Formats: sequence, structure tokens, C-alpha cells
Amino acid sequence: MAATRVRQARRGAARRREARAGLLFVLPWLLSLLLFTAYPVLTTLYLSFTDYNIVQPPRWLGLQNYRTMFTADPAFWTSVGNSAYYALLAVPLGLAGALGLALLLNARTQGLGVYRTLIALPVLVPPVASTMVFIVMFDPDNGLINALLQAVGLPTVGWLTDPTWAKPALILLSLWGLGASVLIFLAGLQDIPQALLDAAAIDGAGAWQRFRHVTLPLLTPVILFNLVMGVISSFHIFTQALVVGGTTGKPLESTLMFMVHIYRTAFRYFAMGQAAALAVVLFLVVLVVTLVIFRSAPVWVHYEGREGNNR
Amino acid sequence: MSLKNQGVCWHAIERRAFLRWLGWGGGTACLAACGTSSPPASKGQKIIVTFWTPGGGGDFCLGLDAIARDFEQHHPSIAIAETQCGTGDQEFNEALLARIAAGNPPDATVLWTSPAALAARGALLPLDALMQPARYAPAENWPPAVLASCRFAGKTYGLPVTAGSCGLWYNRDMFERKGIPASRDDFPRSWDELRRLSKEFTVWKGDILETVGFIPWHAVEDLATWSASNGSQLYDAAHRKYTIDAEPNIAMMEYALDWLNEEYKGDFARVTRSGNWEGYEVEGRPPAFIDQRQAIFLTYSWNMGLKIFTQSAYAWNMARLPVGPSGTRVVAGYWPNWLALPKGSRHVEQAFAWLDYMSGEGVQAWFRNVPDLPANLKVPRDLLPTALVDGKGKAFAQDIMHFFHDQLDNATPMWDSPVQDFAMDQLRRALEQIMYKLATPRNALAEAQKACQSALDKVLQAGV
Repeated sequence: MAATRVRQARRGAARRREARAGLLFVLPWLLSLLLFTAYPVLTTLYLSFTDYNIVQPPRWLGLQNYRTMFTADPAFWTSVGNSAYYALLAVPLGLAGALGLALLLNARTQGLGVYRTLIALPVLVPPVASTMVFIVMFDPDNGLINALLQAVGLPTVGWLTDPTWAKPALILLSLWGLGASVLIFLAGLQDIPQALLDAAAIDGAGAWQRFRHVTLPLLTPVILFNLVMGVISSFHIFTQALVVGGTTGKPLESTLMFMVHIYRTAFRYFAMGQAAALAVVLFLVVLVVTLVIFRSAPVWVHYEGREGNNR
Repeated sequence: MSLKNQGVCWHAIERRAFLRWLGWGGGTACLAACGTSSPPASKGQKIIVTFWTPGGGGDFCLGLDAIARDFEQHHPSIAIAETQCGTGDQEFNEALLARIAAGNPPDATVLWTSPAALAARGALLPLDALMQPARYAPAENWPPAVLASCRFAGKTYGLPVTAGSCGLWYNRDMFERKGIPASRDDFPRSWDELRRLSKEFTVWKGDILETVGFIPWHAVEDLATWSASNGSQLYDAAHRKYTIDAEPNIAMMEYALDWLNEEYKGDFARVTRSGNWEGYEVEGRPPAFIDQRQAIFLTYSWNMGLKIFTQSAYAWNMARLPVGPSGTRVVAGYWPNWLALPKGSRHVEQAFAWLDYMSGEGVQAWFRNVPDLPANLKVPRDLLPTALVDGKGKAFAQDIMHFFHDQLDNATPMWDSPVQDFAMDQLRRALEQIMYKLATPRNALAEAQKACQSALDKVLQAGV
């Protein structure tokens, strides 16, 4: 009996030592999480209720920043509209484009490695550099895109100088960075068991039917992932919009995205409290949209081997 | 075979001991880093003044360094560190405020943001006590309307070392070809006269403007000047109130719209598509006036050193801004470079001596490099841009610079709001909405007024 107690005590001490060691091993990560993620997030939340300009200590304002945002900041609603427009078009277009390219790359053909590299390569180009290249290409007078439109007899447009076309131009620009999504789709496609596709073919399914009834359902977890990441990144579009439209969102505030509005409120107007309130609102919107997507997932996402999930 | 066996003196370090020493070492390094980077100079040593400028390019910054070397000859106990020309990828004000907040700012700086705006946030030191005994800096040595851009809550927080004044540039050859008198005295004195004159030059070819006379106020930086020429203002510094939607300002924008409808087919998009009418290069597009497609536009004195003005193949001149229907006197606008001492500056007296020197003597060398108009009244007014003298002759250069100095004397207060940049963005938005007919002048200006007053009240509530 006593020997059992001694053994238990030793085991308990060993477990505690192990727990301490484990804690020590994760401590650097834990500390950086607290210092560089939790602290800024909580500070942002606190600052959103204050008037803060970096130099002077924060002054408590309560909800005034939020009231100002909704009632006395005309650029707020403009930037909300611009970001929503961008997200609603750029995300589906990006998903469709990435899936299409992944399907092409999944085909068994010569030089596939070269194609894959070419499509993944733009991800490595710094966004400022690629945006500058696109600004030249979108030039209404001497740009490549208008030259191509002219060559096929289509009317030319003002692109980044025309408020009607500036956002569509930014959406087209966003397709440049599809490479990462393409690679994820490609991994998903290669994970689909060939046996299922063969069985469908034997049952008489054509290429479209195999895609519609086998590939697409099995790819839905990957679509969910890319959708969530796409939505988050579309709400966070900043560099391209800033390079194209500056802090004023030219032309006519058509490229004033929400992140640019946050940036200019913080670093042009020195209204850090107001900017923090805007950031909190952005966080909540992205959180709600992401939760809605996740809540809808059981309806359309199919996980292999999960019972009752084959709707 | 172990190292011990080879006779090498080797003490194995325990992991715990290693981590303990690492901890101590890291802590010591952190504490060392928290200390001041440069101790105050001891007696007999030169005091080094650090100096920043938001940018301006290589030649401009090299010019500032050359001025610093001259200053050092007059002040042997002070050394001016190499000018920090911009803050790289980081926005200048962002970097400056962060350094002020961290207690490690430059000792002195050039500002391109209104000192009133930075002073309202407690970022600058008041200079009044230092200004009064100084050689160039006393308040009476500056045009009051220009010094107003440096004042907040009754104190002065900057020196407007240069203030480029504005005027209306016009192509004399285009005037003479149409038989229109081209002397400055014959230039329109009222908005109505300017509008009638402008029509003489505006020619449409289908949807494209071949030539234009004058395109009414569409640049936000000039709006305060046009408002003043119509007897109004956008911001009332004395009462700390925005007056953007005052009736004369609404009338001013309705006047511009009416003009746009009559002369420019009511379509500002077509106007901007037809050419660059700004008087300077915009996104690679050269200004239309070079090709004699524009008869009149508003420009600033610092351009008088540019080749496109000094080596033009045609004759040109400058004229005053005409007076609006509600205006009573001729006014002009200006655009300064300011000098200031950030809060936390470590060598206040020495840094101010540098600013004072720059205001009176250094600025003359600055002018030779870039013809920004010195604002200090003690600076001789006979300085001429060499390029203009070479290109157009000494008499013409003298007349033009005399004109710009007169304009500065007639300047209206501007750049004096504690929320200057915010207000500029709101005004730009209102202006675009009016010109592109997305909102009526009354509604657009009322929206800007509400936003600006709200932002101003918040800043003023914080107090300094």
C-alpha cells in the first residue's frame, strides 16, 4: 500500500516536472502571443474608447469615436461601400479563377512543372512592385490593356483614372496573386481518390458530371478554406489600394478601402483612438462574416468519412 | 575520444546554467538599450544638433547640409548633424511622432504639416520666449498671415522659413494673338471679368478640349485663397470655428458650377480627360500650358526656377487673383516650409540658433538652390532665381519676384487649423462631389463643415 503511494507520488512529481518543462518549451511562443498579439488587440480595444494621438496620454471618451464614425465621418460609409463591393466581386472571381487554373494544372501534360512555377511566381513579387506594373498597364492613353481592347475593336476605358472603373481595375489586379490559392486547390485535387473518378467513369459519368458530382463535393473543404481566407484578405486590402489611390482614394474616393481609411485616420490625422474604433469594427465585421460562413459549412461542405454529412 | 582526454581545458556547461546566463545577458543588454544613446556634451565639446526634413530630394538636402557648414563657422560650439532627408519607407509624421513619444526626437526639423496641427497635439515646443531676443525670428519680422500658420492657443510653434506665394500665370502670346491687352494692369479684376476672358480661349473639338482659358477653382490647396478673395474664409482661427458652409463659400462653388456648365459643357470628367491643366506634371502627363493649350492657371513662386517657365518659347506674366462678388480686396495664398523644435528636443537653445540662422541667412542659400520665397521680412527682397534671370532677363525676373513678394504681403491666413490635413481631405471630397455633380454645393460643404467641426472639437477638448 505504502509502495503504491510512493509510486503515485513519484509519478505525480514526474508529471509536474513534465508539465513545467512543457510550459517552458512553449513559453517563448506564449510570451510572443501575449506581447505581440493579445496585448495589441486589447490595447486597440481600449484605445477605441479614447482620444489618443501618440504624444499625449489617452483620454477616455466612451463611445464618442463610434458615434463620430457612424454620424460625422462621411468617408466611413464610402470606405465600407468600397470594401464590400471589392469583397463581393473579388472573392468569387478569385475562387473561380484559382479553381480553374488548378484544374488545368492538374491535367497530365508536358511541362506541368513550368506552368505551376509560373502561376505561383507572382506571389513572390512584392505587392507595391506588381501594383506599379499594373498602373502602367492600366494607363488610359499608353497602357497595354487599352491597347489590347483597341486591337479587338472594344472601347477603351479610363481604368484607374475613372471612378466607375477604378474598383474593377483593383479587382482585376487582385487576380495577379492567385498563385497561393491555386496551389491549395491543386493539393485538394490531388487528394481526390482516383478510384472514385474511375468508378464514376465506369458508371457512364462524363467529364462535367465527374467534376460536378465527385470532384467538387470532395473539394468543398478546400473551397471553404480558400473562401474564408479570401474574405479575410479582401477586407484587408491595403497596399494595392494605397499605391493606386493614395490616402484620398482617388479618383473620387473610389479606391478608398476600409484599411486605407484606418491608416489615414491614424497616421495622417493622428487620431489613433478613432482609428482603433474603425479597426474594432472591421474585426467584428470579419468575425461575423467568417462565423456565418462556418455556420453555413455543414450545408455545403463534405468531409470524407464523416457520417451524416453526405448531403 | 573526449576533449578531456586530449588535455584541453573544457568545462561542460549545464543547460540550466547556460539558460540562466543567457537570461542575465539578455536582461543586461535590454537595460543597456534603454539608456540614452548619446550623453550630453561635456564642457568644451561641440553640441551636436540633429536635424530632419520630410524629404525634398538629394540636391535640396545637400543644400541644407551646405547651409549647416556655414552656420557652424559662425557658431563654433555647435555642429549640425547630417540632415536626415526623409524617413525612408515610413511616413515622416508617423516617424516624428513616434520619436517624440519615445523621448528621442530630432533636435530640430523642417515640417510640411501645419505646426498648428502638431502643436494642438502637444508635439512641438513653443518658441515665443526664444524668438523675441533672436536676430531674425522675432514675431514682427514675419508677415502676420503667414506666422498665423504657426500659432495655436496664443503661442508660436514654428517659423515659416519660406512661403511660396501664388498668382495667376498667363500666356502673353496667346493674349496678344487674340488682340487682348496683355499687361498685368489690364488683367481682370473681378471673377466675372476673368470668366468672360476665359471664354475667349476655350475651344472644344468634339468631346476633347483643345485649348482652355481658366478652369475655376478645382484644387483643394487653393480653395482658402479663392474663399478669401470672395470675402470669406474656411476656418476662423480666432473663434476656432469652421465656416466651410458659409453663404459666400456656397455661392463661390455655385459660381464655379455655373462656369463649368457654361464653358466646359458641365462635365468635369471630360475636362480632366482632355489634358493636364494643373501647371505641373501629373502622373507622367506634362502640363498642357507647355504646348500653349492653356492661357491662365494658378501657380506658386517656387516654380520660377523650373525650365518649363524659364525657357518657354513664348512670353508670359503673372497677375493677381481677381476679387469675387462678395470680396472687397485683392488677396493671395501661400504654401510654406516650416521650421520647428519637437517636444523633447535635447539642445533647445542651440537648435533654435540654427533655426534663426536658417530663417535669415540660410534661407538665402536655400533660395539659390530652390527658389522658395523667404518669408522673413529681414531677408533682402532682391534675391533672384538665376535660371529665371538667364532665361528671361534680369528686369523680368526682378518684376516677377517683386510681384510674388507683394502677393505674400497680401496673403490671407491659412494652414492654421489644428485639424488641417483632415480638413483638406474633407474639402477635397466636397470639391470633387461638387465638380462631378454628385452633390450640391450646399450639401457637400455642409457635410464637410460637420465633419471638420466635429474633428476640431475633439482635438480642442483634449487641450495641450
